Amino acid sequence: MTGIRIALTGNPNVGKTTLFNALTGSRQHVGNWPGVTVEKKTGRIDWNGHAIDVIDLPGTYSLTAYSADEVVARDYIIDENPDVVVQVVDATNLERNLYLTTQLAELGVPVVIALNMADAAEAGGYAIDREKLSALLAIPVVRTVGTRGEGLDGLLDAAIREAETSPHHEHTVGYGNDAEAMIASIVDVLSADKDLTKRYPLRWLAVRLLEGDENALAKIRDSPAFTGVQALLSGIDPDEYEAAMADRRYEMIAAVLPQVRTAGAGGMNVSEMVDRVVTDRYLGIPIFLALMWGAFELTFAVAAPFVALIEAGLAWLSATVAGSIEPGWLASLVGDGIIGGVGAVLVFVPNIFILFLILSFLDDTGYLARAAFIMDRLMYAIGLPGKAFIPMLIGFGCNVPGIMAARTIEGEKDRLITILVNPFISCSARLPVYILFAGAFFGAGAGGVVFLLYILGIAAAIGSAKLFRHTILPGESSPFIMEMPPYRLPTAWTSLLHMWSRGAMYVRKAGTIILVGALVVWCLASLPFGVDYGSSASLAGALGHLLEPLVAPLGFDWKIAVALLFGFVAKEVVVGSLGVLYGTGEGGDALSMALLADPGLSAATALALMIFVLLYTPCLATIATIRKETGSWRWAGFSVAYGLVLAWLLALIVGHIASLFLGGA
Amino acid sequence: MDPICPLALLSAGTEATIAEVRAGKEMRFRLAGMGLCPGARVRAQCVDRGSLIVSVGDARYALSRGIAMKILVGEPEAA
Repeated sequence: MTGIRIALTGNPNVGKTTLFNALTGSRQHVGNWPGVTVEKKTGRIDWNGHAIDVIDLPGTYSLTAYSADEVVARDYIIDENPDVVVQVVDATNLERNLYLTTQLAELGVPVVIALNMADAAEAGGYAIDREKLSALLAIPVVRTVGTRGEGLDGLLDAAIREAETSPHHEHTVGYGNDAEAMIASIVDVLSADKDLTKRYPLRWLAVRLLEGDENALAKIRDSPAFTGVQALLSGIDPDEYEAAMADRRYEMIAAVLPQVRTAGAGGMNVSEMVDRVVTDRYLGIPIFLALMWGAFELTFAVAAPFVALIEAGLAWLSATVAGSIEPGWLASLVGDGIIGGVGAVLVFVPNIFILFLILSFLDDTGYLARAAFIMDRLMYAIGLPGKAFIPMLIGFGCNVPGIMAARTIEGEKDRLITILVNPFISCSARLPVYILFAGAFFGAGAGGVVFLLYILGIAAAIGSAKLFRHTILPGESSPFIMEMPPYRLPTAWTSLLHMWSRGAMYVRKAGTIILVGALVVWCLASLPFGVDYGSSASLAGALGHLLEPLVAPLGFDWKIAVALLFGFVAKEVVVGSLGVLYGTGEGGDALSMALLADPGLSAATALALMIFVLLYTPCLATIATIRKETGSWRWAGFSVAYGLVLAWLLALIVGHIASLFLGGA
Repeated sequence: MDPICPLALLSAGTEATIAEVRAGKEMRFRLAGMGLCPGARVRAQCVDRGSLIVSVGDARYALSRGIAMKILVGEPEAA
């Protein structure tokens, strides 16, 4: 059995990931590319006696790198020498897709084209002559429909054939006499360096050097040929060559297209008509808000029965554990610690998965790209690109995938700011705290209070973004360019997969970080041995008393200090901890009554508490994610400190103002 | 062809040919990969105070005003 490495590349939005999923099924491994926060997906296929590793590269428009994604894609193809590169091409958008093909051909790697979305092209009236295209480009072209798994066998056969053929043909763009003479002289100088000759195709390197690509220049910096090349390039204007050469590539493509494609009916298509409405300067934002409101309404409506089911299951499990495990401390560890802690997170799984399913659906239809465009002007005002609103939107479900979604943002400073303000977006884990306190202290006005908390969270995010932009991360937000893919009706399967890839992060968080946190909480509340769980005499109680002076100005006593401390693990834990501390058990009306009856708590204190919970660190998993995504503990620590200070200040101010109107505090 | 005006100033439904891209090298390479390079025929679809959606061949992109001001086009004409 021989091993073959296939690198899957292509423009963004061509169905590359869908094709990858169809090829590899469940045999995938998701990791990170070393040193960067770009997801690395690999999969293994056994095919006719070949062990094939498929590497899904990030989408890229060209082999010149602009964002971290593109650098990964380019470096893999250039430096890792995959046996064959499969370029996934959107059959409805040949012209732009073939630009990347011309660059791949120049690189001299064996290429196979997967002419994907072939069904959409045919439905749009395009007939593409694959054999002719293949002959003109000297590249095998295979028809595929990733969403239905069509053409996969043919694609694998062609890829293996190409990988095993050597030497394969190269068919590169001719750049005209002037440029070709320059390329020839550069190749001549470069060929003196045998080491370089082994590593890179010299024609490709020469073309890149002539275009003035800094990366190509860096590759030859240590070569003895460097000074020679510099001398050749000194007299010319690389910008002029660059424009002329890009033009040549498109001319070549323009010469190929009419020979292989019979165009369908032109004119204004459906996507364009929809865009006229949804991106309208007046209608765009109301439509967006209505859709988002609908998404959240639908989420809570659909999730409610599932939540009830999980709650019932957990209650049954706790009761069973309490009755059947000896000794008592072990029952408490399993019941209060593990089931209570992890259960508090699991209860949100239906909400989060359904919200992600709706967002994935909107993303897959192409609407979210439009929403980013609509939001760009608003986001620009706060110093962020339009794309930054997608992480925020996801943050309403859970900050962990929200922060991860910031990966698509190109500018490093833009990305950092987007990450740092995400914790202020009120995730669904904070809702039970609001429901408990707003419900107990604000009665009929509870809904309004909760709504205002969400608005306050958004305002804190916007204000902080502006603050960061003017202080620690100065600069302009990077220019916004985003492809508007044609509207498509996603299949249930692709939306579900998409949902799973986001939602799984949340489940993993419940399974790992929250579990550890819950165990720590349990230990603090149970030690030293013999104390009542979570009582004043426990370690937790001692910590609470220690912290009490810090939160006393806000009107919080030691019990709340303990609950907030435990809330670092996850915000849901605040409610559970209070249940333990007030001796009323997990949530429910008993806890509301106990809180109302506490003379130390007033409506103003409750408001201050909710604001504190909104603004301080959402959970351990968020801190860990910020650490991972920014690559430094410094930013994670900054986020925690900044959140605490902001939470403390706003809770103090609002609490005092509210006490003037509401009395108490 | 002489550059006449920035892409940002096109009105909806007009077509023009890109004459020059006044952006950094990396950005120009990227735009070229997307089909937005000198010689390309672009059509403005939705225009909103300088931000716009343009079509180039079969692709469509949303551009913010900032970048649309850096792409210079020749004489616009009604499509």
